[in-house]
Amino acid sequence: MGMTSLLEIRGLHVGFKIFDGLLKVLAGVELAIGEGERVGLVGETGCGKTTTVKSVLRVLPIPPARLDGGEILYRAQDILKMKPREVRHLRRTELTAIFQDPLQALNPVFTVGTQLRDIVLDSLAAAGQRLTRKEITARCVQALAETGMPDPERIMSNYPIQLSGGMRQRVCIAEALIKSAKLLLADEPTTNLDVTIQDQILRKLDELVEEKGMSVLMITHSLGVVMDLTERVYIMYAGTIVEEGRTEELFARPLHPYTQGLMKSVPKLTGEGISKGIAGRIPNYLEPPSGCRFHPRCEHAMPICEEERPPLFSTGVNRRVACFLYQRS
Amino acid sequence: MADPILSVERLKKHFPTKLGLVKAVDGISLSVAAGETIGLVGESGSGKTTVAQCIVGIYPPTDGEIRFRGQPISRELRKRSKDLKREIRIVFQDPGSSLNPKRTISQILSVPLKVHRNARGRSRTAMIRNLLEMVELPPDEYLHKYPQSIGGGEKQMVAIARALATSPSFVVLDEPTSALDVSVQAKIINLLLELQTKLSLTYLFITHDLSLMRNVATRVAIMYLGKICEVAPTVEFFRNPLHPYTKMLLSSIPVVSEEEKALKPAKILSRGEIPSPVNVPPGCSFHLRCPMKMEICSEADPEMVEVEPDHLARCHLLSRRS
Repeated sequence: MGMTSLLEIRGLHVGFKIFDGLLKVLAGVELAIGEGERVGLVGETGCGKTTTVKSVLRVLPIPPARLDGGEILYRAQDILKMKPREVRHLRRTELTAIFQDPLQALNPVFTVGTQLRDIVLDSLAAAGQRLTRKEITARCVQALAETGMPDPERIMSNYPIQLSGGMRQRVCIAEALIKSAKLLLADEPTTNLDVTIQDQILRKLDELVEEKGMSVLMITHSLGVVMDLTERVYIMYAGTIVEEGRTEELFARPLHPYTQGLMKSVPKLTGEGISKGIAGRIPNYLEPPSGCRFHPRCEHAMPICEEERPPLFSTGVNRRVACFLYQRS
Repeated sequence: MADPILSVERLKKHFPTKLGLVKAVDGISLSVAAGETIGLVGESGSGKTTVAQCIVGIYPPTDGEIRFRGQPISRELRKRSKDLKREIRIVFQDPGSSLNPKRTISQILSVPLKVHRNARGRSRTAMIRNLLEMVELPPDEYLHKYPQSIGGGEKQMVAIARALATSPSFVVLDEPTSALDVSVQAKIINLLLELQTKLSLTYLFITHDLSLMRNVATRVAIMYLGKICEVAPTVEFFRNPLHPYTKMLLSSIPVVSEEEKALKPAKILSRGEIPSPVNVPPGCSFHLRCPMKMEICSEADPEMVEVEPDHLARCHLLSRRS
């Protein structure tokens, strides 16, 4: 990739131990985010996107979750090997996240102001700084105003339940960006919102991230959102990365059969009709298919697909695809 | 329009609440021709589901008239004939909660057959198998499963089979795919379109996804705060959107290719949020968010005008100035 990576995930394997056995969810996820880069991670329900984010933040409940190998390097240090104290420090200072459901992310019994102030106090403490009450409040109000929140002073004394879905998500964005973090993990931040509100929030997020020079990992199932906001994208299927590339290039010319099926399923404004989708369904993680996890649904499946796991073959600059069709012998 | 199968005239549905009167649907008129798919599009809280529920008879309307094949059906909900209930069916948004978790798929599908088709014993089993085959679920595999043991897309297929069990002519689809992934959505949409031609069904398709409607609907109607602001045949609608809200919606859709970008109207920055239906703004309900707002907009509610044949919109910009 040339530039140094801020975050690099190498061969991450995560499983969940349940009564019926071991769910082998993540099977060798490879992902890198450069300094100041915006990267998308796209996949359908149950493909392991959120598990990946939670592994990076080290908030996966272990057990039932189980780390079965791999490393997550943040500035060349393995997050998975850090002591809890070090991870906490990283979360207080460098990492930040926005989740899908703001009503779950916000505490219902405290006002927006209290929650924002707590975050400021905490990040100040981590940095060994102090500010007066007034300065802290001013900072919170400013953070809310930056997200395009109307009347931020009044919102400070409101409870989350008094706000609309879009306003709640703005509060979450303010919370995520109020400390000067370096890497933002945004897990489906606008999935629950209407398109006009989604548009407003994504534009605002785009501006703020640009202004602060943050790196972003945007996790979503919406291809359109990724197209708008990211430079590079990873496509995930059943706990594996199947394809990566520059966003525009990848969407203009998808290589992996799964990505191709996905792109054809997206309803388009050009009105060219919708394909029949992808046959079959996402595999059972108790006994995932051998070899390439997509092979039972793939129309190009070859004998080798069943036997061997395809590595990511390079097909160009910044372009890799995990499919034997692209193997150069 | 020649001979509509269903027509809605100045339909109103108001709900009295502690906070005040919620005008969920506030005077909409719409007619649906046999065999077409009309897409009713709107954001959350615009009242689209309430329209559907009035049509299938879940709520009695506050005012206005719904006619099915010329017969008024909005009054006397309890006296709706069995035949009418057989003809108009609905598929709900969340199949996880619209299918009884304690009944097997075979039991779920047998209810409408028992009630409406008087089917018993072997003939009923045969009908259930037919229904499952129709929605492309192998009967032997699915008959005795419970809803929780099948995927979301498959559950929705079962819900569709249940709706079709009575051989209806009019089906209301209330966001049937919005909870599903795109690859599953594609499968269901294709199935719905096939069934439509095979069984000559008429669809009222409720959704918030305009790109989907571009590919599915024959006509599109946009709802905002309980009122329809624009109706047009699909191709015309996307070629020449007229209402400022429609333009805002269209320009907010995230797309995946350059060809699609070219089709979107000039960017209208989306601003503000849909107001609470308890406090509908006076005049045109959209004027608070409208970039083209004029003085008259906060005073008078615009009338629906037919700008081009079959292309109606409700905006002062389009009303002839006299």
